[in-house]
Amino acid sequence: MEQRTDADIQDQSPQPTKWDRSAIVRLKARFERQNWAGVLFLLACAVAFPMLPGVEGWQAYTVALVIIYIIAAQGISVLVGFTGLVSVGHGGFLAIGAYTSALLTKYFETDIIIGLISGGLMAGFIGFLLGLIFLRLSGAFMAIGTLGFAFFVGTVVNNVPLFEGREGISLPSNKVMFWEIGDIGFYYVSLTVLALVTLFSYCMVRSSVGRAFMALRDSEKAAEASGVNRVLYRTIAFSISAFITGMAGVLNGHIVNYISSEVYGDIWYSVDILVAVVVGGSAVLMGPIIGGIFVVMLPFMLEELADFAFILKGVVLILVLIFAPAGIAEVLGRPIRNMRARLLRQAGYGGREPAPAETTSVAAAPSQTEKP
Amino acid sequence: MASHLKCEEITVRFGGVVACDGVSLDVEEGKIVGLIGPNGAGKTTLFNVLSRFQEADAGEVYLRGQPVNKNSTSQMVNLGMARTFQNINLFAEQTTLDNILIGAHHLCAPPLQSMLWMPQARAVERELTDRAVEIAEMLNLESELDNLAKNLPYGLQKRVELARALAAKPEIILLDEPVAGCNEEETEELQNIIARLNRELGITVLLVEHDMSMVMSICDYLYVINFGANLAQGEPADIQTNRDVITAYLGEEV
Amino acid sequence: MLGQQILSGLATGSVYALTAIAVVVVFRNTRTINLAQGDFGMIAAFLGILFIKEFDLNYYVMLPLVVLCSMALGVLVERIVMRPIADSDWLTLFTATLGVYYILHGAAGWIWGRDTKAFPVTFDAEPVDIFGALISQGHLINMGWAAAIGIVLFFFFKYTKQGIAMRAVTDDPETALLMGIPVRFIVLLTWGMAGFLAAFAGVLLAPIVYVSPEMMDEVLIKGYVAAVFGGLYSIPGAIIGALMIGVAENLAGGYLGSHFKTATAFVMIVVLLTFRPQGLFGIQKRREI
Repeated sequence: MEQRTDADIQDQSPQPTKWDRSAIVRLKARFERQNWAGVLFLLACAVAFPMLPGVEGWQAYTVALVIIYIIAAQGISVLVGFTGLVSVGHGGFLAIGAYTSALLTKYFETDIIIGLISGGLMAGFIGFLLGLIFLRLSGAFMAIGTLGFAFFVGTVVNNVPLFEGREGISLPSNKVMFWEIGDIGFYYVSLTVLALVTLFSYCMVRSSVGRAFMALRDSEKAAEASGVNRVLYRTIAFSISAFITGMAGVLNGHIVNYISSEVYGDIWYSVDILVAVVVGGSAVLMGPIIGGIFVVMLPFMLEELADFAFILKGVVLILVLIFAPAGIAEVLGRPIRNMRARLLRQAGYGGREPAPAETTSVAAAPSQTEKP
Repeated sequence: MASHLKCEEITVRFGGVVACDGVSLDVEEGKIVGLIGPNGAGKTTLFNVLSRFQEADAGEVYLRGQPVNKNSTSQMVNLGMARTFQNINLFAEQTTLDNILIGAHHLCAPPLQSMLWMPQARAVERELTDRAVEIAEMLNLESELDNLAKNLPYGLQKRVELARALAAKPEIILLDEPVAGCNEEETEELQNIIARLNRELGITVLLVEHDMSMVMSICDYLYVINFGANLAQGEPADIQTNRDVITAYLGEEV
Repeated sequence: MLGQQILSGLATGSVYALTAIAVVVVFRNTRTINLAQGDFGMIAAFLGILFIKEFDLNYYVMLPLVVLCSMALGVLVERIVMRPIADSDWLTLFTATLGVYYILHGAAGWIWGRDTKAFPVTFDAEPVDIFGALISQGHLINMGWAAAIGIVLFFFFKYTKQGIAMRAVTDDPETALLMGIPVRFIVLLTWGMAGFLAAFAGVLLAPIVYVSPEMMDEVLIKGYVAAVFGGLYSIPGAIIGALMIGVAENLAGGYLGSHFKTATAFVMIVVLLTFRPQGLFGIQKRREI
């Protein structure tokens, strides 16, 4: 029965003698160019924004806040979208980045560039160490383990005197080299970090490393049989993710020139970043961007409603999960993707529609059991 | 001819069940060797031991005379061994091309160069892509390169698995039931492909298979195991007339 | 001194245990890590205040009412939020419970305010002397309740039809469905049970920590850690894990200083998972090839 269906399908799709992929390759290159054009347009808008007439420092500050969230969300999206691992404790890395840079600035009067690099590296290093423990765990265990990590970081910054707990650490105004930068300058620093991180994610996903991540996500066994070192690549993913989030933490501390355990001791901060990724969509570059806007802007717009905003956030989150499980970015991008898919199909790409369930069941969707 | 893959006295226990009980085999270089036995004889377990997916409780595995008991699963590809799975294990959400490319993972540039898109890493990437397309052409998969693996019919998925294993440039390839679930046509095609790999590329093949006519016509040498232990070994013609083997298959026509 | 530390550790641990059991039951039947578990209890505590203060009800009339409301809340969450996405991966399920967390948190803050409230029933401040160790009556009563619930659950899972069906769903939902077990109803029951346990955790904790929207956050984290400690699939494991964490953090707080108290659970879990990635009572599943 099953074999018959296979044969039927083969009969239906005419098989050309010599396959010509050049049309597909050309089309894909064109789409790539379109993507870049879109990204560059967005970037140009972002660069021009503070120069627009009527835009004041505090508005640049607000947008910079969104950008910081987007960077943090990109950090998690590397993990969730491409390796299938979930961390609920990335707020911990945010705090590590923020405190590293804050302490350096306070005691050694370093500038924000050094802060960014050292904060990122510190978070990446701790991510590497934690990765060695957490990455052996299966999904749910890892989620709770990472949540515990965020909780631990919160306890440390609350109680260890060096971090000055709820009193907090006040920082001098932000500097690049020796020049003081105002709100606008800070905006450009954040934007630069965002651009670099986005470029890096793009390249990484489209390299052998990104391929290895996705292979591990889809079938661990087959990936290992193909020579992908599971521990090595998962640790790489975790460290990179921590590094990016750590940099977001540095910016997050410097933007208000003040950090305290009031903010970084709160584990729900961690969860918020994860929400940005889930709402926006994790395996799409635009996902964290849209998600970041959602997480920051919604409470911002509804500030005076406080608790009601909380309820609304929960409702929106649940609605997104039910009606757009792959995230808002996926829904918004659907028309473009459909159009492209049509063009590609005309060129002979992906001639196969999903086959009947029974013929694909063997290789369909990674079956990741949650049992340890 | 020299021994390519050899194991001695492999024993594997799962709790109280003994899956392999002192199995030994020796695969000669450049040969196609079959491993057969009734269901539950421990063939797949032995395969997993040979490819380092399963730790043996006792016994040694040698690849070209070197013990490999300390190597991790993912290192085996570097040593020239690739394998396929009984239940297809493709990367369902990725295209055929990407599936094949993963097979060549150990030939890629180091991670850091690769993710920063260093020029030499990109050059390697292009080269590997070309080779992946070549492999696809050899297995008549070129028209499927841009299809998602999950959308392919069963027979083609099996071939993609084979293509992925080949992309690793293996010297020996372990095939776990390469034609299981395929119809006659597909079986014949795969059989020809395997024979060509062996003849033209000089790849040593060890395969587990239930399709006896295929095994008998393609293999140079056979090992029969039953209840986790060696039962018989020899050329296909000898095995066909072996009393013990016939009894083990309980009258099944061999 | 040591005996006293251990005793009050067990008392805290027993509240963790109620949460940990609920986490385990929901996780193993629905693959959901329920972030809203603590907030079910928080809502229950607020309802307790409401019933006692506004309706002038007796504590023992209030308790069953609150338990019923809390169970209804659990069932409601299952029907409205979880069922439409029941087939999704665990991250989706997990995030959905986060949505529920936001809603319950926001609702509590909106209705009852952000500031902490005292629970109208306080226990006698006079501590009780057990073999020379002093323990407050509240703690003692909590331990009693927790033990009673533990025994009830034991008999429920062992002897009742629903309890046995629930275990069957845990082991293999598909086979359970084929065997004619109404899996949907069992899942509903699972969430009801989560509400039931949360109500007790909330009401028992309320006199000790005061009532606020955030009152259960820490308990929830400890409950998770305890559940993971026990391997996420085992109720006895979760109980033992919870009691161990309660005792360990009380000892750490007593002998090393209160700074160390909250961090204890995390240190324990990291050490444990380093050596036993499947938890203390988890089963190491053989890799299927």
